[in-house]
Amino acid sequence: MRINPIFKSAIFLKAIFVLSIFMLFYISSVSYKHTKALNESSELLVHSYKIQFQLERVLSMLKDAETGQRGFIITRNPVFLKPYKSVEDQIYASFIKLKALTIVDQQQQANLDSLLKLIYARLDLMELSLEGIRKKTIDENQLNQNLLAGKSVMDNIRIQINKMEDREISYFNEHQKKYETEVIFSPISTFIFAIFSLLVFILSFIKINTDVSVLKKSNTQLMITNESIKHAEIIGEFYTTQWNLATGELTYSDNLYRLLGCEPQSFKPSIESFLEFVHPDDRIIVQEAEDNTKLFGKTLPHFYRVIRADGELRYFMSMGKFISDDKSRMHIGIGKDITSHHLSNVALEERNHELEQSIKELESFNRVASHDLQEPLRKIQTFISRVIEKDKANLSEQGKEYLTKIESSAHKMRILIDDLLLFSRTNKAEKVFEKTDLNKILDSANQELAHEIEQKNAIIQSVQLPVINVITFQIQQLFVNLIGNALKYSKPGIPPEIKIDCEKLAARDYPDFITDTRKKYLKISISDNGMGFDQQYAEKIFILFHRLHNNTEYVGTGIGLSICKKIAENHNGFIIANGKPGIGAIFTVYLPL
Amino acid sequence: MPKEPIHILLADDDEDDRLFFKEAFEEIKINTRVHMVNDGVELMSHLTNEGNPLPNILFLDLNMPRKTGIDCLLEIKRMAHLKDIAIAIYSTSSSENDIENTFVQGANVYIKKPSDFSMLKKILEQVITVNWQYQTSGLNRDNYFLSL
Repeated sequence: MRINPIFKSAIFLKAIFVLSIFMLFYISSVSYKHTKALNESSELLVHSYKIQFQLERVLSMLKDAETGQRGFIITRNPVFLKPYKSVEDQIYASFIKLKALTIVDQQQQANLDSLLKLIYARLDLMELSLEGIRKKTIDENQLNQNLLAGKSVMDNIRIQINKMEDREISYFNEHQKKYETEVIFSPISTFIFAIFSLLVFILSFIKINTDVSVLKKSNTQLMITNESIKHAEIIGEFYTTQWNLATGELTYSDNLYRLLGCEPQSFKPSIESFLEFVHPDDRIIVQEAEDNTKLFGKTLPHFYRVIRADGELRYFMSMGKFISDDKSRMHIGIGKDITSHHLSNVALEERNHELEQSIKELESFNRVASHDLQEPLRKIQTFISRVIEKDKANLSEQGKEYLTKIESSAHKMRILIDDLLLFSRTNKAEKVFEKTDLNKILDSANQELAHEIEQKNAIIQSVQLPVINVITFQIQQLFVNLIGNALKYSKPGIPPEIKIDCEKLAARDYPDFITDTRKKYLKISISDNGMGFDQQYAEKIFILFHRLHNNTEYVGTGIGLSICKKIAENHNGFIIANGKPGIGAIFTVYLPL
Repeated sequence: MPKEPIHILLADDDEDDRLFFKEAFEEIKINTRVHMVNDGVELMSHLTNEGNPLPNILFLDLNMPRKTGIDCLLEIKRMAHLKDIAIAIYSTSSSENDIENTFVQGANVYIKKPSDFSMLKKILEQVITVNWQYQTSGLNRDNYFLSL
């Protein structure tokens, strides 16, 4: 047996949770990436601004220097040369910074180098002009040329700086573009995934909720079942055991303790502690059943005695089987206190034995009747016949009369014994049912009665009888007895007319006297024109030894009709009698088909 | 009527029955020689003693002490030189069992001891006048139980 899991959705739920966790991971990583990109972007922006700032600064310092130079040239006042004096150092400092900022960009480094050369060229030109003015070695014309050359270098510097700034801006823009596509894509996917996760969580929540309510319901059901089993165990005097093969854990139900005369769960369940209660002679039975459990895959029913804690002897029966779910095999044992059942069985067996004994006695009584009683009677009769044959002539008239009376008494006794034997045979004989042609049976019965039929000039009429399943010799006896009866109780001087009728009938048509209305019956009636009888005796005539006439009128034993009743009963049928004094009698036999 | 007397053997433990049997044959006007034994054991020692002539017909009571008629019947039918003796069961009982059993074991006829002496004479006369050598071939259950 396999246990079906109550919640098949457990796996589904697990899958959903794993999926949700993955989604959360995804969302987190996307957010992390997003943030990181944003960070990088702003860093890049700052970086780019720093470079631009330094470049602008370099340009502005150069402009300052140029402006100072111009002022000096126009006014020859050295105060204008103040910014120019510090410009070289400051430009260099900016240059170092720019060098560091563009360390990763080869192109920009090269640009920077050429920028520096241009700056130095510009500064050299300035120096040349200033030097010429200070030493007054430069003429107006030469100075103008210098200034023009300076302007051209300055233009180049501007171009170079613009070029570098453009590069930084385009690099930033490129980065910004890439960043934007990522940042635009990720919020949508994150949002979708977040919504999906939320949905999954809601679904899971609903599922868990319904599962929990089912679980609650099952739990209540289980509790009720548990309680009813406990109750049933007490009423039914049985117990259950559970043995988990995986853990080896053994559990006994409360009622097992009660049946052993102990408080529930008063000792630790173990085979050893249970065996202590088992009758010492029967421990081997329980042990063997236990040992064979794994071999046969179940515990076969076994019977043993138990001595309860209060010393009372009880009879137990136990059996068990394995049930399994996916993880563990479980052995469920059931035992029952069968003491009352056992004792009544024992009593029944005793009664049976007594019954068998009395049947045997009855059989030996039959033997006595059939052999031992017949033997002396037969001898008496034979001796009487000897006396009559040999010495009748020598007897007095009275002696002859006595002898005749002795003879007729012996004859009556013979009939009685024969009838009794027949009756007991009807009771005892093997009931072999066979397909029998009732017409043949009737013929045989008439043959048996041929002497009486002839003597009384009887007319026997019969309809065609069917072939049915009966105990052949008993039905023949039935015909002999009933026809014999009709012959015997005929009116003196009037030839008996005996009619045998037969019909098949459904029991439901005769609800008055047939209780089992499903059956079909064969109704055989034997009617005569004899003396009949008063209907009030209709039932008594079937009682053993019951007679309506004394022996001087009609010789009989009062057994014949009892035999008929017995035969009808042996066929699960019955017989009834109807009589009208002076008109006749009808005996009707109903045999089930 | 044969010149040689018909040799008849009766095994019956009952003294009165032996008396009736003897008297009946005395009155039947057929040349017979009747020998009687008291029980089954005596019967078997009589039959196996080579000095004794074998009977033409054996009347066998069933209910006898020491060795019953059925036991004797079984033994006789097992012995090659005895199995052809005609056997008439001669018993008080008319139980179906006894009749069935003895028929199956090969007895020739079943006689229920009558309770009338003249009937006894009639039956015995009928039985010994049948030539059982020929009769056995037509053996059947219907006329096995002899009734008059």
